[in-house]
Amino acid sequence: MLVIRRRAGESLLIGDEIEIEILECGHSQVKLGIRAPKQVVILRKEVHIAGEQNRRAAEALSRLDSWMPKF
Amino acid sequence: MPEIQTRQFGLVKFEETSVLHFPAGLPAFEARTRFLMIERAVTAPVVFLQSVDTPELCFCTVPVAAIDPDYQLAMTEEDARLLNAAGAPLCLVILAPTGAAGWTANLLAPVVIDLASRRAVQAVRADARYSHQHPVGVAKCS
Repeated sequence: MLVIRRRAGESLLIGDEIEIEILECGHSQVKLGIRAPKQVVILRKEVHIAGEQNRRAAEALSRLDSWMPKF
Repeated sequence: MPEIQTRQFGLVKFEETSVLHFPAGLPAFEARTRFLMIERAVTAPVVFLQSVDTPELCFCTVPVAAIDPDYQLAMTEEDARLLNAAGAPLCLVILAPTGAAGWTANLLAPVVIDLASRRAVQAVRADARYSHQHPVGVAKCS
């Protein structure tokens, strides 16, 4: 993992087409501005993870035979 | 009466008023906005979320209270605005098979439903308070 320190107003470039600007830097939160081509998907990490879980869930049920969760 | 042909439940007839509307769809299924809640006594407390527009898409969920009766719902401002719930919403968690862990429930991203308006959102939490792979028991149906 590359670790960089930046202050509010400073930027990072990723590749040729992605820029991340630190807009505001609070004590518990950072506000980021992201410039990227439309086709680049930008998601909160936990949303990406929820998507993965949903895909697993949907795929499993489409194959469901006799296995069912029980409580 | 509208109807859909499903793999799990055969032909399902439903009232349009019972359809749940997810304005933002669900993560990885953003275009899927209309779902029915289907429950069967034999699989209680499971609530199936059956897609109306994609009959082969169906999620297995349980009320979060069945797993954690003390669950504290926390939605982002954006999700709360999207849901615009009048009263206390219903929270369901989606079950998925997760390799060696067996079936798990995503407590980090519950499906939150405003029963009065039929609006729903999968509210992905911004805190790390719950697991996206909370283990649940599995048993074979005979």
